[in-house]
Amino acid sequence: MKYVDEFRDPQLIEKAAAEIRRLAHPERRYRIMEVCGGHTHAIYRFGLQDLLPENLELIHGPGCPVCVLPMGRVDDGLKLAQNPQVTLTAFGDMMRVPGQMGSPLELKAKGADIRMVYSPLDALKLAEKNPDRQVVFFAIGFETTTPSTALTVLRAQKMGIENFTVFSNHVNIIPAMRAILDSPEIGLDGFIGPGHVSTVIGAAPYEAIAREYGRPVVVSGFEPLDLLQSLVMLLRQLNQGRAEVEIQYERAVWEGNRAAQAVMAQVFELRPTFEWRGLGFIADSALKLRPAFAAWDAEVRFGVAGVRATEPGAAQCGEVLRGLLKPPQCQLFGKACTPEHPLGALMVSSEGACAAYYNYHRGPVAAED
Amino acid sequence: MPPVDLEFYSSCTLDQDGCTTCGDVAVPVHVVKVEGCEALVEDRLGQQASVATDLFPDLQIGDVLLVHMGVAIHRLPPPSSVQEEP
Repeated sequence: MKYVDEFRDPQLIEKAAAEIRRLAHPERRYRIMEVCGGHTHAIYRFGLQDLLPENLELIHGPGCPVCVLPMGRVDDGLKLAQNPQVTLTAFGDMMRVPGQMGSPLELKAKGADIRMVYSPLDALKLAEKNPDRQVVFFAIGFETTTPSTALTVLRAQKMGIENFTVFSNHVNIIPAMRAILDSPEIGLDGFIGPGHVSTVIGAAPYEAIAREYGRPVVVSGFEPLDLLQSLVMLLRQLNQGRAEVEIQYERAVWEGNRAAQAVMAQVFELRPTFEWRGLGFIADSALKLRPAFAAWDAEVRFGVAGVRATEPGAAQCGEVLRGLLKPPQCQLFGKACTPEHPLGALMVSSEGACAAYYNYHRGPVAAED
Repeated sequence: MPPVDLEFYSSCTLDQDGCTTCGDVAVPVHVVKVEGCEALVEDRLGQQASVATDLFPDLQIGDVLLVHMGVAIHRLPPPSSVQEEP
């Protein structure tokens, strides 16, 4: 297996799908959650659900950072941008996430100084070039993204750049997986574990999930064959009554990146609790800057309003995020809420379950009103 | 030409790296040039970018990295060291 073509080879894929159909006992149902938004995107893009037996259901997990960010935090960030001294910087997808005050892009259109950046390091460069501005980086993401923010803070410290701060919304994946398993109505049998998050944290942190909850976890790559192989591995475990951590994505994941773990631990510490869209408040699930780095913490420098916002009227993002509804079962899907005009965050990011379903699902979508 | 088949790891490229906030999509590249804490890297299509390599102080030309948001987050093993069959 050396090329992407091989990971998309129709014959190999059919072989893997046939094995899944053979392994899926017709008398039982299998509910498997793919944790990562990248996997959700690949499942819809390649139509993998269509290859699976009817009694094997894929539940789309919380691994899309903008999708799980509550509207209140978006509004907290936008309130920072209302400070005339502040230049707010954010990743592209974050620009379109709606809060109660609108999205960052809409606020920018009204004159706020909000800029899109590709990397937190670009935000730091902006601060260096504009010493008269307070540049705030709207940090968001799981363990794959957190090291980048941590490195940027360390560079800011080293370079003595004082007009740069971070509004941290970094979250950790393991507490979210636990919260999902603690919600009995979701009823999961196992997880397809995130691939690149695991290049940073390794596969060992999932051991506690497998041991304490009796659910298997298979860390997967992102190609169609990767995902089908991961399902084969999960079904084998479930049929044999095993609950273990296995790595399908062996070509990239083994023990994690200790240097990345070290810089994250140096710069960040756990928040006692943090709100997730659809999952509520989860203890020890998010990161804030350590007191030693308070000079680069936007929440310390500017204060944060702590806005609590209710989700838009009829949107059912929470139910979709918890796997209780499929995207088209939300009453706004494809009508009031589309990728062009998202009402909920799941329709914003290409990795969001609703956007992925809308863009790639080949079946009928909800008719226009 | 890259010293290894970067497609082995992932199809992502520097201009098609999926969702920017997802954090679970990263681009395999190989190192062309090392300059302190920065490296010039190249993806499987030959596109180049400068990325931060603070996490890998012993980086060498030809090393294969996974980059995300302008930062190298992981050093990948050569394909020959990975036994993987469908």
